[in-house]
Amino acid sequence: MTAQRAVGAPVARRDAFEKAVGAAKYASDLFLDDMLWVAVLRSKYPHARIRRIDTSKAESHPNVVAVFTHRDVPVNRYGLFKKDRPVLCDDKVRYIGDPIALVAAETREDALEALKLIEVDYEPLPPVTDPIEAMRPDAPKVHDDGNICREVHLRLGDVDGAFARADVIVENTYRTGAQIHAYLETEAGISYMEDGKIVVVAGGQSPYRDRAEIAHALNLPEEMIRVVTPYVGGAFGGKDDITVQIHLALVTWKTGRPARLVWSREESMMAGTKRHPAIIKIRTAATRDGTILANKIEIVLDKGAYTALGPAVLDVAVENCNGPYRVQASQIDAYLVYTNNMVASAFRGFGAPQVIFAIERQMDLLAKKLGMDPLELRLKNALRKGDRYVFGNVLEGSVGIAQCLEVARSHPLWRSRGRNSCEWPWLRRGVGVAAAMKGYTIGALPDKGVVALELLRDGRVLVKGSFTEIGQGVIQAVAQIAADLLGVSVDDVEVVFADTEVTPDTSVTSASRQLFLAGNAVREAVEALRERVAELEGRLSGRRPARVEFSGGWVFIDSERRYSLQELARLLESTGLGRQVLGVYEVPRVEPLPGTLEIPHLFYMFGVTLAEVLVNLLTGEVTVSKVVSIVDAGRVINPITFTGQVEGAVAQGIGFALMEDAKIRDGYLLTRDLSTYLIPSSKDVPEIEVIPVETEEAEGPFGAKGIGEIGIISVAPAILNAVADATGVEPNAIPLTHERLYWLLKEHGLVEQLRRAST
Amino acid sequence: MYGLKFPHSARTREIRFVLNGSETSVRVPPGYTLLETLRYVLRMTGTKEGCARGDCGECTVLVDGVPVHACLTLMSQVEGRSVLTVEGIDRQHRLIRAFVEEGAVQCGHCTPGIVVAAYHLLSQVPRPTEEQVREALRGNLCRCTGYVKIIRAVLKAGEA
Repeated sequence: MTAQRAVGAPVARRDAFEKAVGAAKYASDLFLDDMLWVAVLRSKYPHARIRRIDTSKAESHPNVVAVFTHRDVPVNRYGLFKKDRPVLCDDKVRYIGDPIALVAAETREDALEALKLIEVDYEPLPPVTDPIEAMRPDAPKVHDDGNICREVHLRLGDVDGAFARADVIVENTYRTGAQIHAYLETEAGISYMEDGKIVVVAGGQSPYRDRAEIAHALNLPEEMIRVVTPYVGGAFGGKDDITVQIHLALVTWKTGRPARLVWSREESMMAGTKRHPAIIKIRTAATRDGTILANKIEIVLDKGAYTALGPAVLDVAVENCNGPYRVQASQIDAYLVYTNNMVASAFRGFGAPQVIFAIERQMDLLAKKLGMDPLELRLKNALRKGDRYVFGNVLEGSVGIAQCLEVARSHPLWRSRGRNSCEWPWLRRGVGVAAAMKGYTIGALPDKGVVALELLRDGRVLVKGSFTEIGQGVIQAVAQIAADLLGVSVDDVEVVFADTEVTPDTSVTSASRQLFLAGNAVREAVEALRERVAELEGRLSGRRPARVEFSGGWVFIDSERRYSLQELARLLESTGLGRQVLGVYEVPRVEPLPGTLEIPHLFYMFGVTLAEVLVNLLTGEVTVSKVVSIVDAGRVINPITFTGQVEGAVAQGIGFALMEDAKIRDGYLLTRDLSTYLIPSSKDVPEIEVIPVETEEAEGPFGAKGIGEIGIISVAPAILNAVADATGVEPNAIPLTHERLYWLLKEHGLVEQLRRAST
Repeated sequence: MYGLKFPHSARTREIRFVLNGSETSVRVPPGYTLLETLRYVLRMTGTKEGCARGDCGECTVLVDGVPVHACLTLMSQVEGRSVLTVEGIDRQHRLIRAFVEEGAVQCGHCTPGIVVAAYHLLSQVPRPTEEQVREALRGNLCRCTGYVKIIRAVLKAGEA
């Protein structure tokens, strides 16, 4: 009997040791004898027509086996929402990362050398790189059907009436930048032929979806392709779309040879997807006592050159742009606009960090105008379970935002707010708060996950699912859930993941959905196993048992009989019933709001961030000295992996707020490495306190809910609210780099004031 | 070795060095880096490549006990010298144990480089302060953890 429940236990991760000693294999660590090294020729221009591609010189370069262009691709368009992305460009290039040709060579050096020998005759076209300009009818067109990829217009409640009776109106415009995922392992994979199938082993987030995209592009049946996703060196949404997979499959399919393609860091920065840069205008109507009556919100997302997952990102932005508040009416106009910038797609938070940044800065500015405490203003308007949200949907899942705000209110950091002077006159301290929400699972879109549960002959348990281990610890959490349900030790649960040949389709590892989906599917699988035991018992004793319980490595039948799991495995096999069962979980369907794809969700995550900053008035430097992340966590399956997820999200939020400045000029990325595009280091991330508020998500496995994204969403506004608290300056654009804040402080006369005071 | 091919024009040269305590000899072209040699020639993939230009610290190894970026170290520079990679650290080392127990590993791609950097720190400063740990790891980027548990793990290993 296991003394301790596996769920909730702070068990060390099963993959930690092999990763720490350098033994774990990632896609970029795989080498095959006789493999071809693949290199990609990418566009020189952000926007140009391709007149001619001449590969003859490259083909005759020593050691080059093949050069591929669009002419070699059976179906040259792919993409999840819209098949608009060329595998290899044909008519035009639309951004600087666009791939034009592939070289496959016997050596790495020759592959790179041959790229330089490919002649592309371009006719440069005027690029459009500002989404507002791109919306004008006379703007250069990225795609023939215009630059507006998608728009959403919603009129919810009596907006005009609300504005007519408002005591105060606050209006501001907010901007957020093109954050780059900057996972430490770049996009990578190998491919080879095995038993007549193309096998692609690559970093990714959804092996089945990747397989479907490869099959479509190569015009082959899906069964001819196997996709395996080993440990991934970070993803955060950036490996949700296709990266190396189709290129690798193409090379192996055409040459019959194994191949390896690993993007350089520069390639990853240019050709990898980004967080959609956003421009968000909010006009808020409120009463004198701080009741929010309505928000008029305009959202423009810079899509970059191709659709990718943009339409869903736009929906998430729309769904969360009113924040976790009881807003009675809202007018939302949202646009997803093509430009010749790099492609934007999924990135942790998926549209929510942008709009929550805006609404949470707006809340502080409203509080200032009303003379209210910003935390009290939030609490006054906070959603409660059972509330009707602005889309008319009743919030039936767990809604822990008010509890999170209450924890923040009594936290010593918040109570120390106002003690802003420092030892030195040029340093100011500030404390800020911000709240967050985001739906998890994929909302009104169909969302289903399947896992297989196999009882091994030695009595241990094997769980198989196509979930991907991108660092979040899903295999550990799944093992703990299975162990708990079956009453075995966590060490007796094996997990096999992400291989289209051996694991059933648990669908995508994104949208903070995988633990919820896979966990529920494991629960269903255990139910199926219970059912099978009942059937077995029916056959053996002629009577169906009323109760089947798993505990301590045994299965108990009507408290009359028991079998060890080893014995059970033997019986299931010898009777032909089989040792494997499937568990299927489907998220209850909701009807999407007309004009939307996935609004509303049934389940939402909530959280609150407190941030303390020190601002140097002379340099504009902001030091984040403490962050408290309070998360409506549902039931925590593993406290170590849970806090790890939140701490990492907070660090990414600090980067998003202050440091990560992708400099893009006329469609060209100027910051192409990690010394010009800075992500937080050990010197930039302070002490982070993570406080779970354990509500209960009744539908979730053991009451757990999604937590992968929530930690990042309110970090940037909390930090900027703290900067405002410290300085009185109200910055509304991120990243707020030293330089940008310096000019803002100067504009507001703070630098002058200080200089006068010191003379 | 392992069928790795070099361009026809490449003139390779034999380089001898000590790798994790063992005499090692490789034939590589001029300009080949230690990282390329470890990963492509020897297929010792514990040392990761994150940027290949000295920005991220993933490929941190010790050359004669000093931490360097393997991606910026030419093979001619390690000739006759001693190289320690993550594979050369005792798997039972308290640092490895602390990383596992404290949950300092998520995607794990940065971990080997950080383990090597921390191993070096502990060899110099057996009981470092938090500030010393942060300073020692400032050149090792991690995108998953926010460094909280990494720092805690190194401090814990330092207490042992």
